[in-house]
Amino acid sequence: MSKLPLFPVTVVGSWPRPRWLLEALRLKREGKISQEEFDSIADEAVLLAVKYQEDAGVEILSDGEQRRDNFYSFVADKIRGIELKTVAEIVDLVPDKSRFETVLRSLDVPAFSIRNPVVTSRLEVGARGIARDEASFLKNHTRALIKIPLPGPYLLTRSSWVPGISDKHYRSREELGYEYAKILRDEIIALRDLGVFFVQLDEPVLSEVVYGPDQSQQTFMCAALFSRRNPREELEFAVELINETVKGVSGIKVGIHVCRGNWSRREDALLKGDYVPLMPYLAETKVEQLVLEFATPRAGDVEALRDYIGDKELGFGVVNPRTDEVEKPSEIVARVEKILRFMDPGKIYLNPDCGFGTFAEAPVNTPKTAFNKLRSMRIAAEELRRIYGER
Amino acid sequence: MGEMINGIDVEKLRELLKQAGENREFVSKINKWSARVRWLGSGFNFRSYVRNHSFLISEPSELGGPDSSPNAVEYVISALGACYATGFILNATKRGVRVRNLEIALEGEIDNILVFLGLSSEGHPGYKRIYAKAYVDAEADERTIKEIWEETVRTSPVGNTLTRSVEVIPEVKVVR
Amino acid sequence: MGEIINGIDVEIMKELLRQVSEDKEFVSKITRWNARVSWLGSGFNFRSYVRNHSFLISEPSELGGSDAGPNAVEHVLSALGACYATGFVLNATKRGVRVRNLEIALEGEIDNILVFLGLSSEGHPGYKRIYAKAYVDAEADERTIKEIWEETVRTSPVGHTLIRSVDVVPEVRVER
Repeated sequence: MSKLPLFPVTVVGSWPRPRWLLEALRLKREGKISQEEFDSIADEAVLLAVKYQEDAGVEILSDGEQRRDNFYSFVADKIRGIELKTVAEIVDLVPDKSRFETVLRSLDVPAFSIRNPVVTSRLEVGARGIARDEASFLKNHTRALIKIPLPGPYLLTRSSWVPGISDKHYRSREELGYEYAKILRDEIIALRDLGVFFVQLDEPVLSEVVYGPDQSQQTFMCAALFSRRNPREELEFAVELINETVKGVSGIKVGIHVCRGNWSRREDALLKGDYVPLMPYLAETKVEQLVLEFATPRAGDVEALRDYIGDKELGFGVVNPRTDEVEKPSEIVARVEKILRFMDPGKIYLNPDCGFGTFAEAPVNTPKTAFNKLRSMRIAAEELRRIYGER
Repeated sequence: MGEMINGIDVEKLRELLKQAGENREFVSKINKWSARVRWLGSGFNFRSYVRNHSFLISEPSELGGPDSSPNAVEYVISALGACYATGFILNATKRGVRVRNLEIALEGEIDNILVFLGLSSEGHPGYKRIYAKAYVDAEADERTIKEIWEETVRTSPVGNTLTRSVEVIPEVKVVR
Repeated sequence: MGEIINGIDVEIMKELLRQVSEDKEFVSKITRWNARVSWLGSGFNFRSYVRNHSFLISEPSELGGSDAGPNAVEHVLSALGACYATGFVLNATKRGVRVRNLEIALEGEIDNILVFLGLSSEGHPGYKRIYAKAYVDAEADERTIKEIWEETVRTSPVGHTLIRSVDVVPEVRVER
C-alpha cells in the first residue's frame, strides 16, 4: 500500500479472545503447556482476529493482542526482571492499603486474583523482544498495514515500581523510567525494521492521574497506587519519559493512546472527565498521533483539542467498544464533521475508543458486534472520502 | 483549642458531633464498615485488612494453630470491650467528666463449641452469654458514673449487634 | 507424621478432634473465652489483652481518634471473616481438599450510627446487615466448595453469635 486514503480505519488493539485461547492462557500460566504449545494455539486466534479486521475493512490492523493476558502485564513474559505478583503478595508493603480495598471492591475480586508486573531485578529484554514475535507473525499473514500497541513508559514505570522490592535494583522510579524509555526505543526501532507501520504507546493511567484521586472510581492498575505525587509533577514526568522514548526515532509512526479505562461494561466503575486538563501535556509530547476516545460521553467534548492538537494527527475514537448498539455510519460522519471545523481532514484516523478486550478474561463485546462496529467505521470513511476526496 | 478532657478537645468533639448530625453523606459513610480477611496459605493463619491497618488472626496451639494472635471469638469480645470503652470515654467527655482509669474485663460462653468442630449438632456454636465488667475511676459521683455506663451500654454499636440478631449474608465465589 | 494438607497434619488434626469429644475439661476450656480492654489514658485509644497477645483499638481520625488501629465495629467484621476462614480451612482439610487461595470480603451496615453519637434515638446503633463474600480457589469442584462453605457458615461460632441474640451482661464497678 503506497499511500493511505483520508480517514484511515484502524483499531486500538485488543479483540475478544476465543474461549479455547483463554483456556490455553490459563494452562500456560500454570506451567501446564509450553510457550511453543501456547504459540501454536495463539497463532490460530490471531488469524481469526486478523480475518475479522480485514473483512470489516480495517486498513491498519493489529493482532488483537491475542497473545497477551492484558495490555501491559504481558511484559513479564518478555522482559527479564519483571515478575507478576498478586496484590495479596504486595499489599503488606503499601502504606495506603485502603485504596487497594476500594479497587478490589469496585472490581469484585479477591487480592489473590489480581496480578501486577513488578520489577524484581535489573531489566533485560528477551530474544522475542516485547512484540517482535507478534509483528513477525502478522507480517507473514496480512498485507494490511500493521499497528503494534505497546505499554507506554510511564504506565510501565508507574505500575511496576514497588518500593521495598524494585528499589533494591533501581535507585529511583526516575532511573527505572529512563530504562523503560530506552528499552521501548530499541523495540520501536526493531519493529520499524520488521516493517511495522504504527506503534501505539498505551498510557491510560494518565487519566487516572487527573481524574482518579479522591474519587470513588478507581484505577484498574493496582500497583499504580504506589506512587502518588501531585498530578502536575506526574504528568511532567510522563511527558519526559514519552519524549525520551521517541528521541531520534524516525521511519515509523508513533502515537499515544489515552483513555479512561474500558475494562468494564459498568459505566459507573470507569473514570470520567474531559481531556481539558491533559491537553497541555499531551501537546508537549513529540509523537505524531494522539489516539483518543470520544464516542463515550465520559470523555467530554472534542472542543478540548482545538487549542492543543496543533500539527498532530488524531486517532479519533468514533465507536464505543463496550456497547451492544452499533453506531450508524451517519453518526460517525457527523462526529468527524464536527472536528473538521478546526482540523485538517488529512490528520484524522478513525478508530474505536479502545480495545474490545483490554483484559483477556473480560472482553467488553462479542466478535460479532465488534466486527459490525468496525464495518460501520469503514462505511463512514468511504462516505467521508466521497465528500473530502481520496487524498 | 478548647478545654482538653481525657485527651480530647471538648469543643472540637462537640463541633464534630454537631456537623455529623447534619451531614448525610458523612453519616452514610460511618454507617458502613468493611474488612477483608485473607488466609495466609498454611494452617490456621489469617490476616485481616481494615482501611490502612492489618493484623493477624490465628488459633491457639491446643486447637492446632500457631497461636500468633487472638482467634476470631476472642476478637469479638475484645470488640465489645473496646466499644464499651469508646462509648464510655465519649459520653464522659461530653459531660465534662475526667476519667482516670478504665478497664473492661470480658468473658464469653459458647453454647456448644463441638458444633464448630463437627462433633455435635446440639445447640449452636455461637456465644450464649457474654459478661462485660467495667472498672472505672473517674472524677464524678457513683450515680453519674452509672448513668454514663448505662448510656454507653444502651448506645453501643457492638453491644446492640450482639444482643440483636443481625442478618448475615454469606456468599461464596469460586475463583480459578 | 501424616499427610499435610493446607499446612495442617491431617492425622494429628483428626486425633485432636477425637480426643476433644472425650475430654470434658478441654471442651469446657474452649467454651469460655476472655479478654480485657484497657483505656490508654488519653483519647479514643485502647489496648485489648487476650492470653499472651495484645493489640490496639482506636477510632479513625474523622471520628476524632488517632487511627492507631481498627475500631470495635471493624473488629467484629474481621472476627466474622476470620471465623469463616478458619472454618473453611478446617472443613476443607477434614475432607482432604487442598485450598490454594481464600479471601473473605466483608461489609457491615449499621442501622443508625447517630444513636451511638447521642444524636438520635431512632432504630439502634448495631449492625443491621453484614455481607460476607468468600473468594475461594481450591482443588475441588464447585459443588464440593459450596458444600464446604455451607458447612462452614452453619457451624461458625462468630456467625451464630451475630445471627442470634446473645445475652450480654454488663456491669460497672466504681474504683477509687
